[in-house]
Amino acid sequence: MIIEQAKEVLIIEAESIMGLVERIGREFESAVDLILKAKGRVIVTGMGKSGLIGRKIVATLNSTGTPSIFLHPAEAIHGDLGMVTHDDIVLALSNSGRTSEINSILPILKEMGIKIISFTGRPDSQMAQLSDITIDVGVEREACPMGLAPTASTTAALAMGDALSVVLINRRSFDLEDFRRFHPGGSLGERLGKKVKEVMLAGDNIPEVQLGTMADEAVREIDSKGIGATFIVDAEKRLKGIITDGDLRRCLLTKKGMIHDLKVEEMMSPAPKTIGENQTTAEALGLMELYSITLLAIVDKQMKVRGVVHLHDVLGGEEFRLNGISKFT
Amino acid sequence: MTFWAERNSDSMEYQNSPRGLIVDLLTPLNSDGSIDGHGLGRLLDSIIPYVQGIFIASPQSGEGINLGTQQKVELFAKTLDVIREKVPVFFWVSGDSEKATRDNYSKLNGIVVKRKYRGKIFWVDTPLYYHSNRGLPVYYKEISSIAGRPIILHNNPEFVRGADRPLKRLNIRTSILKEISSIGEIAGMVYSGSLGRVHNYQKACRGRKNFRIYDENEGRFLNYPSMSGVVSLGANLFPGQWQKVTLSSLHISSEEKGYPNYIKQVWESGLFLRKVMEIYDVEPVSILKRILCDKGLIDFPYCTHPSGDIKEPLERLKSIIGH
Repeated sequence: MIIEQAKEVLIIEAESIMGLVERIGREFESAVDLILKAKGRVIVTGMGKSGLIGRKIVATLNSTGTPSIFLHPAEAIHGDLGMVTHDDIVLALSNSGRTSEINSILPILKEMGIKIISFTGRPDSQMAQLSDITIDVGVEREACPMGLAPTASTTAALAMGDALSVVLINRRSFDLEDFRRFHPGGSLGERLGKKVKEVMLAGDNIPEVQLGTMADEAVREIDSKGIGATFIVDAEKRLKGIITDGDLRRCLLTKKGMIHDLKVEEMMSPAPKTIGENQTTAEALGLMELYSITLLAIVDKQMKVRGVVHLHDVLGGEEFRLNGISKFT
Repeated sequence: MTFWAERNSDSMEYQNSPRGLIVDLLTPLNSDGSIDGHGLGRLLDSIIPYVQGIFIASPQSGEGINLGTQQKVELFAKTLDVIREKVPVFFWVSGDSEKATRDNYSKLNGIVVKRKYRGKIFWVDTPLYYHSNRGLPVYYKEISSIAGRPIILHNNPEFVRGADRPLKRLNIRTSILKEISSIGEIAGMVYSGSLGRVHNYQKACRGRKNFRIYDENEGRFLNYPSMSGVVSLGANLFPGQWQKVTLSSLHISSEEKGYPNYIKQVWESGLFLRKVMEIYDVEPVSILKRILCDKGLIDFPYCTHPSGDIKEPLERLKSIIGH
C-alpha cells in the first residue's frame, strides 16, 4: 500500500511535467528572447512554495550565466522594489495567479516599463493579464490531499525553470570556461581552473617507445602504462607519433595478423595533438572535445615530451558531460 | 439571442465548463415518486452559494436512470426556475438508446428555448450506456450539431457494467476520446475509474484547451485532486466543507489566508468529509436523503430504488454531525 501510494504520487508528478511538453510554445521562445535581450537581471518573485521554487530558479539561472535575484513580494511592497531597475525582467510565479502580494506589485512594475513573464497554472488569471508573457505551467492533478502542499504544480514550475535556464545556456553559448568561472568552489570548477602541469602524468608514467621499436613492445608499453596509448619518440625524445588502442584494432583488421612483424612507425598516427604545460585543464578539455580524443601530449618548444594528460586526470576520474555535448572516445 | 448567436459572440468562454465543486444533486421526490418542487428549491438554495455547478439527474446519485422522461423534463424545468442562471447546470441527458437520447436533447432544448434561459447548461452524456465505442466520434459530430449546448462525457465503468447490456467495453477507448475531444462542443468529462486510465485520458486530451476532467470519485479527489474539480454527492449535505476543500485543492483560494489556521481548517474538513463519506458510502442516496429530510431541506426521503438496512450507518452519521 505504501509503495503503491508512492508510485501513484511519482506518476502524477511525472505526468505533470509531460503535460508541459505539449503545451510549451511561442510564449516560451518569446520569454527566452526577452531575457537574452535584457541588459539587466531576471528578478524572480513568488510567495510560499512558489517562492521556494523561485529561489531555486534564481540559483540555476545565476550558475548558468543569467544574472538573477529573488524578490520577496511582501518585502517588495515595503521597499525592496527599489532593487528593480528599468533594465530588469521580472519572472513571477503563482500557480493560482491570484496571489495578492504579487498582483499588487505587478502594476507598479508595469508602470516602470518593466517586462513581466509569469509562470502560472491559470493563463486566464489576474497575474497572467498583468504579464507580457504568460507560460502555462498548469497541471491536471495534484499529488497531495486537499492541495495543502502544492506538489505536482511546483514540480512543473521547477521543471519549466530548468528548461528556461538550459535553453538560455545554449543561446548564450555558455562554455566550459564560463562553467569554471561560475563554479569556482565546485570540484569540477576548481579542477578546470588548474594548469595542465598540475594534473599531467610525467617521468616514468609517460607511455613512450622509440622509432624502430617492434609492435609487440609498443603493445606491452600501452598495457603497462594503462592509459590506452603510447607516444612514439625519436632518440632526442621528440614527439613523432602516437599509437592508441584504436590504431591497434585497425591494424589487426587491415594487416590480418601480421602485426608482430611491424615496426611502430608503420602503425602510428603522426602529429598527435599537444598542449602546453602552462595552459589550463579547461583548455585541454576543450581540445579533447574538439578532436574527440581522450589524451593530449605535453611538449616543450623543441617538441620534447614532458608529460601526458588524460581525460580522467582533467575530470578527476569521473566522466563528466556538460550539456550532453561530450563526444569522447 | 439564440445559443448559436451567443456562442458565436463569445465562443470559447461560452463553452468552457467551470472549475471547482459540482454538486451531484439528490433528486427530491414526493412519496408518490413525483418531483418535490419545494424540497428542490430549499435544497438548491442551501447549496448554490457554495458550488460552481449543479449536476441534475445524474444516473446513480440523482436517480436519473429510474426517472421517466416526463419526470426528467419536470425536474429540469423546475431546476432552471430555481437556479435562474446563477450557476451552471449539468444535466444527464442519456436515454437507454440513441433514439431516446436524441428525444431527450430535443425535449430539454425545448424547455431552454421556451424559458429563454441564458445561463450555462451542459449536457452530461454516458455514451457507453446506449452506444458502443465504434462510431462514437461520428455520432458526436452529428449530435453536437443538434445538442444546442456543450456536452460533458460521462465515463463510469461500474455504472455501465450495472446497465446489464451486452457491451464489450466499459470505458471509452482512449483513441476514441482523443477524436471526440477535438470536437469543440465536447467540453469535458465526468470520470470514474482507475488512476492509470485517467492519466491516459488526460494525455489524449492535452491538445484541447480547457477540456475539463472532473473526478466523480470523491475519495480520489480528496487524495489526488483533479485540477478541473469534483462531482460531489457529499456536497448535498456539507456544501461549505466541500467548497473549502475544493477551493484549496484547486488553489483557487489564497494560500496565505489565515495561515496557518487556514491549513488546519482545510485539513480537518478533509478528514471529516472522508470519515462521513466512508459511512454514507454503503447506501449514499438513502442515507443522505434521510438526513436532508430530518434537517427539513426535503419533505420526503423517498428513493426510486429500495434500500437495505441503513439504521446503523444513519445513526453513526447523525452522531458525527451532531444531529
